[in-house]
Amino acid sequence: MKHLTHILILLPLILGAGCGDSDTASSSEAWVWDLPDTVPEPRVPEDNPMTAPKVELGRFLFYDKKLSGNQTQSCGTCHLQELAFTDGLAQAEGSTGQIHPRSSMSIANAGYAASLTWANETVVLLERQALVPMFGEDPVELGMANMEDELLRRMRDDERYPEMFAAAFPDQADPINLDSITKAIAAFQRQVTSFKSPVDRWQQRDLTALNESEQRGMALFFGGTNAAGVEDAFECFHCHGGFLFSQSSDDAGQVFNQKFFMNNGLYNLDEDGSYPPGNEGMYEMTGDPLDKGRFKPPSLRNIAVTAPYMHDGSIATLEEVLDHYARGGRLIESGPNAGDGRNNPNKSALLNGFEMTEQEKQDLIAFLRALTDDELLNNPAYSDPFAE
Amino acid sequence: MNETTILVATLALVSFGCGDSSSGGTGGTGGEGSAVAVTIQFAAKVGMADFECGEIYDNVGANSTSLQLDDFRFYVQDVELKNAGGDYVPVELDTEANIWQIENVALLDFEDCSELGNPEMNGVVTGTVPEGSYEGLRFVMGVPFDLNHDNPAVAPPPLNLTSMHWNWQGGYKFLRIDSGNIMVNQSNWRMHLGSTGCDGDAQAGGTTMCSNPNRVEVDFETFDPENDTVIADFAALVEGAPLDINQEETPVGCMAGPTDGDCAPLFDNLGLPFDGSEPDVQQFFSIE
Repeated sequence: MKHLTHILILLPLILGAGCGDSDTASSSEAWVWDLPDTVPEPRVPEDNPMTAPKVELGRFLFYDKKLSGNQTQSCGTCHLQELAFTDGLAQAEGSTGQIHPRSSMSIANAGYAASLTWANETVVLLERQALVPMFGEDPVELGMANMEDELLRRMRDDERYPEMFAAAFPDQADPINLDSITKAIAAFQRQVTSFKSPVDRWQQRDLTALNESEQRGMALFFGGTNAAGVEDAFECFHCHGGFLFSQSSDDAGQVFNQKFFMNNGLYNLDEDGSYPPGNEGMYEMTGDPLDKGRFKPPSLRNIAVTAPYMHDGSIATLEEVLDHYARGGRLIESGPNAGDGRNNPNKSALLNGFEMTEQEKQDLIAFLRALTDDELLNNPAYSDPFAE
Repeated sequence: MNETTILVATLALVSFGCGDSSSGGTGGTGGEGSAVAVTIQFAAKVGMADFECGEIYDNVGANSTSLQLDDFRFYVQDVELKNAGGDYVPVELDTEANIWQIENVALLDFEDCSELGNPEMNGVVTGTVPEGSYEGLRFVMGVPFDLNHDNPAVAPPPLNLTSMHWNWQGGYKFLRIDSGNIMVNQSNWRMHLGSTGCDGDAQAGGTTMCSNPNRVEVDFETFDPENDTVIADFAALVEGAPLDINQEETPVGCMAGPTDGDCAPLFDNLGLPFDGSEPDVQQFFSIE
């Protein structure tokens, strides 16, 4: 690069000509976030300001099967609104039938994620993340690799899109391009927020929002003493605290890097902390054995409707999830994944197990269920425009 | 070799692309005589045989496997020729007439049959160097960091090919060699190489470092740009690698994952460390 830089000095006047890269805030009115006072605004990249036309374009693109190579899937295929934008499967299935090693994550509040997906600290922008399912080859998700020209052709040939792209990117002479597709999808996702659960209403001082069981569960969740007399017996909020109910959060005012990955003792294949091959968490990125089994603690918002649980969907119910944590790790007695996760050397020091009465278990689950935001599941602004 | 009339000023105009934020530093070819055009020839081979897209090659790898090869592409950056004084001089890439090049990176493309490819091929790096005699060559197989981690959705050619994107870590596949068709879930073997262990910084807007850059340094003490060709030899890449065996539950072949043991012999042949190894110099590239 340094070889070319002398050039820049010679030609300052040409700078800026024809570089329609920045869709600076357009003339339309400023975007207004629909957020309670208890929640900060998400970080919005300077080159992708929120506008209503862009969000609406993003909604269409998110649900459009034209975004898959064989036109059988859209983003929404694995992210169903009624399941808080998950798919109910243990592991997702791509457009060519390839099974993903991971379970589909909710996109609700994805604009606040300190890092996106289960165990990847590289992907921090929704705009960049959108490229992974579209063009990724391992696994194949939407299966668009090498079909970028075809994708743009489909957009141009559509009766709706040329106008929608023009409205969303008014500064661009030729707005149908890959960058505007990722920006529109990201803008749509960024405003799919979910902060209207009964727990949110309680935190906004609506004392009727939670029943007694839910309140008891909330107290236990946030460090209460259990029946056995142990203070902060359950330690839930250390990983699942904050407005996201995940410590891995970011927002417009955040100045610290809050990316966060930990091992929760699901597996221990060889007493070396190994997880099943092909699904080993941060270790797959770094190769550091200490990263075996380290995944992002997901947000617990809407957790009741996003079963099955964990990165590989290997726990079916919330009851079993609590049993797993009560034991301090999962014991798998036989088969290829046999091992005692409780003894995983990489396991978080917070997961030491705990005693839990049946009542406490039911109270915790009642609280977790009260994190479901029915408006998210039904909001027409987030819904599939192609569904009739 | 006779296009000596390409002016530095012309190159400069063209090199100036959208979205390029790189700046600072000095350099250039001015002031020491005229710049002359130079073409570095590349070729893909499998042992003694020329690479032909879709061809089946016998006796490759540790277990003498037969393998059909359907893709063979790689990026090179920082191509430099060694002058008579022993100094390395950057080849200022022709980014006007040559769509395969941008800034200081070029795509070499030997496939015309991949379902993830295109019919066009490219086996040369073209540019200019100060007039003089040259007797050595060095380059890096890779994409420079700044370009590698810029927004691929707005990248100019030859960085705008989504089949060369490496989105899970950001950046590009520096090398892709494929056997099979992933779109129908049939993959026999493949090698995709890019940087891994990359961080992501939301405040900074992206990646600031990768713990495994995986750029391959290539250095030929002796190279005659008039007569020599740089050979990328698949057989040399997979020497010692059992291509018919795949580590359980890892991608078929090697996708550069630090936990995929199938990568170990390939990285070794590329002169790249893998799992703490200290490899010798690369043997994938040679001169003919």
